[in-house]
Amino acid sequence: MTDLVDSMLDLMRRLPPTHVEENVSALVQMCPDYADDLLGSVDQPLKVLTDKATGKEYLACDYNRDGESHRSPWSNEYDPPLEDGTLPSPKLRKLEIAANEAFDTYREMYYEGGVSSVFLWDLDDGGFAGVVLLKKVLNPASPSEPSGSWDSIHVFEATERGRQAHYKLTSTIMLQMVDRASDAKDAKDEGKRDGEVSLSGSMTRQTEQDWPLQDQTSHISNTGRMVEEMEIKMRNLLQEVYFGKTRDIVFDLRSIDDLEKARRQRELQKELVGFIKR
Amino acid sequence: MDSTERIQAASKFLLQAPPGEINDVLNDVRNIISDDDQLQEGVLPALREYNLAQFMTAEVPGHQHQSIVSSAARVPKTGEEGEEEEESDRFWDPRSRTSFRFDHLSLETSDPQPVEPDAESEPFRAALEQSSLTYLVAHFHDGVASVFPIEGSISRFIIQIVANKYNPSNYWSGRWRSEYIVDLDERQLQGKILVNVHYYEQGNVQLSTIHAIALALPPAITPSSASSSASKILALIEAEEGKYQNALNDAYAEMGEKTFKGLRRALPMTRSKLDWDKVLGYKLGAELTSNKGALGVA
Repeated sequence: MTDLVDSMLDLMRRLPPTHVEENVSALVQMCPDYADDLLGSVDQPLKVLTDKATGKEYLACDYNRDGESHRSPWSNEYDPPLEDGTLPSPKLRKLEIAANEAFDTYREMYYEGGVSSVFLWDLDDGGFAGVVLLKKVLNPASPSEPSGSWDSIHVFEATERGRQAHYKLTSTIMLQMVDRASDAKDAKDEGKRDGEVSLSGSMTRQTEQDWPLQDQTSHISNTGRMVEEMEIKMRNLLQEVYFGKTRDIVFDLRSIDDLEKARRQRELQKELVGFIKR
Repeated sequence: MDSTERIQAASKFLLQAPPGEINDVLNDVRNIISDDDQLQEGVLPALREYNLAQFMTAEVPGHQHQSIVSSAARVPKTGEEGEEEEESDRFWDPRSRTSFRFDHLSLETSDPQPVEPDAESEPFRAALEQSSLTYLVAHFHDGVASVFPIEGSISRFIIQIVANKYNPSNYWSGRWRSEYIVDLDERQLQGKILVNVHYYEQGNVQLSTIHAIALALPPAITPSSASSSASKILALIEAEEGKYQNALNDAYAEMGEKTFKGLRRALPMTRSKLDWDKVLGYKLGAELTSNKGALGVA
């Protein structure tokens, strides 16, 4: 019998990405014993929360959650407040503060808006792990304008090996776009047409790399370069899949050109070639 | 969750299955529920609903073609004392005048029976069918079309088209559905086109579109001139579907130009990657904030 968690993950790979939250919550209710496995392995759209202490926005996901509370990367406080919420060690928190500043710059350069958050946590074997989160939402100026959202989740593990560090990075990007078409344009035509096009989903990629380590801040530039490289690669991939592959499949289902005419033309050509050869 | 709620949740999952993946979803659900007897009985209504809504295609027993299983294809009630036969799983193929039982789990057909169509509406329906099949081979690679009369009417017909492509070894599948209601009395053509695409190689990306059309029928279309009217109706549909595919291209272009680029740039304004050693020295200071206006113009 296949592992139950595998079946749940396979299911999530098939069901519409636009319903990931309600489907995950249904699965959690069906199999409460596996809630942690599921929540830890299915990426869901990031929630934007506001840090009450600093007024700055931050992102909430499973990695900065403790019970029902989420920790802000800016003030290090849990909301709703927690007496004994998990916190990174003081040394790691120092790195976390610097990482949040660096990725905030990265966010501004590439996203020109949106929200970013970085969370780090200590691992039992002495290393540490972290997650870099980025989110941007485009709200349409008018109902006919397209809307969209982008969520990046980069989870990494760092292991120091003398003057080198080994990084394992798993990146998921969730991208949703909706275009509401209306055809007020050809008013001459008497008919009425309206509709909606929705392109949504997520893609995941992994990489492992070694980088030199001068001091602790090297971890930020190292993971920074890896995340940047990965996002550039994945943005190209998303472009190819969203705008290339899915479109090609539609045109594979139905052809704008008359297939019958094309078939007849090919027949005719064959005949002509045969005729000339004779 | 009690067992009824679990079956309800499972049914919801089934109804969301992408084209050609209902069995994969059913296998997952089966493993999650792990009670085959309860599952088989419990999810039957969901499978039926899914098959009808998705225009499942069926081999017509004793014939060499497929027909669409949908609510329009349900065999008309025999009229005996209004006996409720709503959940009947008997469907018919007007093209071969055959009705058959359809198994919603195995998707197999059985027990063919001859059906006598309504004599008054049949000539126009048959003409629509003829034109629909011609249209189908001209524009669809793997399509099935069925044309049904609407029970109790001699002037209304339903044209349904479905085209599927399943390619699990390359992790994608797609389905095109269109449906048109031809109303010769109201002189209207009402239609909808639904396209679903699933791409799932190391990810899960789905295209889902809906497009509704309402058109007035031109005066040249009359019940008495079945053959020429039918080809005119299909010419209208051909033009609309072609127009729609072009509109879809425009939507792709718009989402690519506006939304995709607006969400994340390919490279920063500086056209080069970040200098991470410098970034660590920066604070998001005055310099960057004052440039924000310029950065936002893209």
